Amino acid sequence: MTDLLSVTVSGLLLAGLYATMSYGLTMIYGVMKIINLSQAGTFMLAAYVAFTLFTYLGLDPMLSLVIIVPAFFLFGMLLQRLFVSRVPLANTPTLPSLLLLFGIWLVLQNLAYMIWTGDDRSILTSYTYSTINFLGLQLSFTRVMVFLIGLLALFALQAFLTRTYTGKAIRALTQNRPACMLVGIDVDRIAMLAFGIGVAFDALAGTLMSLLYAFTPAFGNTFMLKAFVIIVLGGLQNYYGVAIGALVLALVESWAVMFMPASLQPAIAYTLLVIVLVLMPRGITGLLEGRRTV
Amino acid sequence: MFATRAVGLAIVLMVALTVGALAGCGAQEPAGSETDSGAEPAEGPQEILIGTVLPLTGKESRIGNYQLDGYELAIEQWNEKGGIYVKEFDRRIPIRLISYDDETDQAKTVSLTERLVTVDNVTALLGGYTTTLVFAQSVVPEKYGVPYVNGGGAATKIYDRGFKYVFGTLSPIEILAKTEMDFLKEQIDAGNLPKPSTIVLLWENTSHGKDFQAGVRAKVEEYPDYFEILLDESFELHASDFSALLNKVNSLEADLFLVDAHLPDYILMHRQYTEKGMYHKFITYGARGPDPAAKDALGAATDYVAAAVWWTPDLPYPQVQQFNQDFMEFTERKYGEAKPPQWYAAVTYEAARALFTAIEQAGTLDRDAIRDALDNLVLEPSILPGQRLTFSDSGQALNPFVVVQNMPGGETVIIYPEDAKTGEPVVPVPAK
Repeated sequence: MTDLLSVTVSGLLLAGLYATMSYGLTMIYGVMKIINLSQAGTFMLAAYVAFTLFTYLGLDPMLSLVIIVPAFFLFGMLLQRLFVSRVPLANTPTLPSLLLLFGIWLVLQNLAYMIWTGDDRSILTSYTYSTINFLGLQLSFTRVMVFLIGLLALFALQAFLTRTYTGKAIRALTQNRPACMLVGIDVDRIAMLAFGIGVAFDALAGTLMSLLYAFTPAFGNTFMLKAFVIIVLGGLQNYYGVAIGALVLALVESWAVMFMPASLQPAIAYTLLVIVLVLMPRGITGLLEGRRTV
Repeated sequence: MFATRAVGLAIVLMVALTVGALAGCGAQEPAGSETDSGAEPAEGPQEILIGTVLPLTGKESRIGNYQLDGYELAIEQWNEKGGIYVKEFDRRIPIRLISYDDETDQAKTVSLTERLVTVDNVTALLGGYTTTLVFAQSVVPEKYGVPYVNGGGAATKIYDRGFKYVFGTLSPIEILAKTEMDFLKEQIDAGNLPKPSTIVLLWENTSHGKDFQAGVRAKVEEYPDYFEILLDESFELHASDFSALLNKVNSLEADLFLVDAHLPDYILMHRQYTEKGMYHKFITYGARGPDPAAKDALGAATDYVAAAVWWTPDLPYPQVQQFNQDFMEFTERKYGEAKPPQWYAAVTYEAARALFTAIEQAGTLDRDAIRDALDNLVLEPSILPGQRLTFSDSGQALNPFVVVQNMPGGETVIIYPEDAKTGEPVVPVPAK
C-alpha cells in the first residue's frame, strides 16, 4: 500500500513537470498550428543558461527564472518574427514549418556543443539532495519545488488567458483565426506574443529540469516527444486537457514500472499515443466533452 | 541578369558546401597531410596510416576524446622514435592517425569506418567507444580483412562472432561482475555484510548489461548461501528518468545495489537515488564510479560508490606512474590544461601500443601478417592489471579487474584484490 502511495505521489510530482513542459507546445500549436520541433533545443538552452548563471554568478536556478523566462520570451518573439512568420500558415502543421523548427533545434544543439562542450553538466544546490517527510514518505525537496512552480505557472497562465485582452485574443485565435481577423485582432502581433510565451514556458520547464537531471547538448528530445504525447492526449489545444494528459502519462509510467520491466517504460508514452490517435483522436478532453453532449 | 547571377551564385555555393561537407565530414587530420596513402616510393610508404572512428561529439564525447588522447599519446611516443620499425623496408616509418567523429551515432560509425578502409586505405584500425558502437563498426574490419584493436568494447558479444581481425584490450564485463561478487563474498565472510545479502540487480539493456547480469547470476548460483536476488531488471540505455524504477527498488530494502550503467546513466540514476534519500550497504555502477565527470556532477553523493575497473592511475606499477606523467604532459600540451589520467585513455593507449608492436613484430605492412602477430602478441610490461597483455582466441584480452571505492574528499582507493590494495574498503557504507 505504501509502495503504491509512494509511486502515486512520485507520479503526481512528475506530472507537474510534464504539464509545465507541454504548455508551450500547446500554445504554439493552438495559435499557429505548427509543432514546435525546436522545443527540445529551448529546454536544453535554458538548462545551460541556468547552469552558467549558477556556476559563474552563484544565482540559484529558481531565482534565475526571473531572468531566464523574460529573456526567452524575447528570444521566442525574435524567432517568430525572423523565421517562423515567413512560413505559410495552414490549418495543419506543414512540412516547411517542421523542417524550419527542426533546423533551429539542430543549430541550437550545435551552438551548445561549441560553447559548453558535450560533457554532462548538472546543477548541485545546497538543497539538491534534501528530502522532506510527507505522510511518512521521503520526498525530494527539489521535486516538490518543481511541482509547486509548475502549479503556479498553470494558475498564472490560466489567469492570463481568461483575464487579459491578449490572453483572450490568444484563445480566440486558437479557436477561429478568420473570425479574429474580421473583428480586428492584430493576429500577427498575437501570434508573435503567443510564440514568445510558448518559448518562455519551454525555458521555464528547461530551467526546472536542470534542477532534476544532468544534461548535455543532446538533452531534451525525449521530453519533447513526451510533451507531444501529452498534448495529443489532452486534445492538442486545451490547457486543462494538457494537465490531465500530463497526469495520465506520469501516473501510467510510474505505475507500469511496478508491473513491467523498466526497459519497456519508454514504450508506454508511444503506446498511449497510438491508442489515443486511434480510439480518441480528440484526446481525453474530447472524449469527456463527447460524453457530456450524449 | 540579376536572376541569372543569383542562380549561378546559388549553384556555386551549393557545390562549395557539398564539396566542403564531403571533404570535412568530421575528419581531424594534421595540417598539410595527405588524405590518401598516395603513391609509395620504392623504399616503402612515407607513413603508416592508422584510422579510428570515435564519438568526439554527442552523448559519449567526453570519453571518446579521452580515448583519442590515449591513441595520440601512443602515436606521439612512437613517432618520437621515428615511427614503427618495419623489417621489410629496414627503416622506421612514422605513423599518421586519421580520426573521424561518429557523433555517438551507430550508422555513422559504420560508414566512417568503411570510409577509412576503402577511401583512406589505412593499414590498420583502432577502435571506437561504447560496446554498441564497437559492435557495429567491427563488422567493417572483418569484412575487409583489416586488423582492428579497440579499447572501447567489452561485451563478449563483440568477440564471440568468430571474427579473425577484431581485438580488444577490455576484459569481459562478465569477469568484471564476478570480481565484484568475489569481493562481496569476502566482505560477507569478514562479517561486514549479512549472510545471505539481498541484491537489487539493474543493468542497461545492452550486451554490456547482459554480460554484467550473467556474471552476477553465475556467482549467485555458485554461492547460494551468500546471495539472494530480490530484483533483476534491465533499463533503457541513456534513459531520461529513473524515478519510477528507483521507487520499485526502494520498496525492496535490499542490502546490495548492483547496477551496470554507462556514465550518463550512472550520473542520472545516482543523482535521483540520492535525491530520494535511498540507502544500500554497498553500491556499484559496474565500471563507473570514480569518473571525475560524475564527481563534478554529483559531488559528495559519489562517496563510497565502488567500481570494478580495467585500469586505475593508482596501480602500483612504475610503468603506470610513467603513463600518468606522460598523459598529463601530453594533455597539457594539447589542451593547455592537464587532464587526469582515466581508464578510457589507458586502455586505448595499450590498444595502440599492441597494434604498433604487432606491426613491428610482423615486419611488414601486410594486414594478414599483422593480424597473426596480434594473435601471438605478448606485451610486457603492460600498464593494465597483471602487467601483461595478450589476446585470447576470441580476440579479447582477459586481464584481471581491480575494485576501487570513492572516499570522502574526492580520493579513490583500490580495495581489491589484496595485492593491489591502496586503502581499506568501507563496507557497509555509512548511512547519510
